[in-house]
Amino acid sequence: MIPMDAQSRPVLARGVRLRNDPITGEPLLLYPEGVLPLDAITHDVISRCTGDQTLDSILSSLAEEYEVEEATLRVDVCECLEQLRQQMLIALSK
Amino acid sequence: MNFRPYLLLAELTYGCPLHCPYCSNPVAYPEGQELSAKEWGRVFEEAAQLGVLHVGFSGGEPLRRADLSILVEAARAAGLYTNLITSALGLQRPRAEQLREAGLDNIQISFQAEEEILADEIAGTPAHTLKLQAARMVRELGFPLTVNVVLHRRNIDRLERIIRLAEELSAERLELANAQYYGWAFQNRSALLPSRGQIARAVEMVTTQKKRLLGRMEILFVTPDYYSDRPKPCMNGWGRRFLTVNPVGDVLPCPTASAIKGLRFDNVREKSLAWIWGQSESFNRFRGTEWMPNPCRECPMREVDFGGCRCQAALLTGDANATDPACALSPHRAKLTSFVESMQDEAERLPPFSYRQNPAQPLDVTGKLR
Repeated sequence: MIPMDAQSRPVLARGVRLRNDPITGEPLLLYPEGVLPLDAITHDVISRCTGDQTLDSILSSLAEEYEVEEATLRVDVCECLEQLRQQMLIALSK
Repeated sequence: MNFRPYLLLAELTYGCPLHCPYCSNPVAYPEGQELSAKEWGRVFEEAAQLGVLHVGFSGGEPLRRADLSILVEAARAAGLYTNLITSALGLQRPRAEQLREAGLDNIQISFQAEEEILADEIAGTPAHTLKLQAARMVRELGFPLTVNVVLHRRNIDRLERIIRLAEELSAERLELANAQYYGWAFQNRSALLPSRGQIARAVEMVTTQKKRLLGRMEILFVTPDYYSDRPKPCMNGWGRRFLTVNPVGDVLPCPTASAIKGLRFDNVREKSLAWIWGQSESFNRFRGTEWMPNPCRECPMREVDFGGCRCQAALLTGDANATDPACALSPHRAKLTSFVESMQDEAERLPPFSYRQNPAQPLDVTGKLR
């Protein structure tokens, strides 16, 4: 995998859909034959992966929302995104 | 009710241009008329209300339905994630564009091998070249692609080249599905079951290639239950997460459940999907753990593997209540093991394939493609 950097723009991978569970209301990622229920934080990360925002701007927007320093979030957010990339659920926009 | 269906397998027709000897379609097809587009539309709506998130369009060959894009549109309108499970025969560009317009989310194309001669021999018809063309075309149209290859004795040694093919097609996912011995596949199991050595080499290859392709292509591979001590948690438990609606509208807890003698299936033309899921005898027959005899009943694994596969128990022991003979604790395991042991000589000449046949009287109500 190409490593992510500050200017990478993560986006939902092809064929992946973000929706709310019609029964429980919780956010989900749907992909071929699969469902990934999202916790609130992962949902906050993923809903910012529009392909327009860079990793840096995603981090600063999250930092603002949670009222914490960017540095506090960075490791966890990057780890979360890398894991989603390994699962082919997030790609990097060109 | 604690049980909720997540995936609906919509078997649109039993007609298929391929004749694969590993097909798990029933050998005896049910009689009746195929569901109309309007009836399918109602099924999708009712399924979504029950909590279903995914629909797989399958068959036979779903492209045989001339109104497929209408069905996809109806499923999307119900909010479902739509996956087309296809041989790709009959998938020309205008058809694929129409499906894209309808909102189809993913296309899964089957390949029988990585090269034409063997692939066409397994399919029982010239298909490989058409499949390659179709796969490249759907990528050009921007569809996500899953490549599915059913593995068995004749193609499992070619895994490296098969993976290479999926990579060349830039598939997101590669499903390496070991043949499961139901329906036509059961009739052919003496020609299909790999040796232990073949399975071990395949596992090693998959492990290496998974690492190499991490984040580029997902590879799915499950060790076949004939070579395991534990049965597979079939369907994640009977009537827990899956339902199948077959071409004539019967609703089944799993696609091969018609192999279980004496089990009666309710039909969407007569009952609502909610009633069938919640109340019908067939869906409640093996739900939970109350139905289990020993050794399952007292087994600590009973909520993990659910006693294995009911269809396989019925097929191999004649009793659908029995512990799946793939389990080492089954009193019938010895018989399965002796079959497995009889398949270990890799040089042995194998019986010819008995190819899957289409229903004698086509059930197709749309009729336009025949």
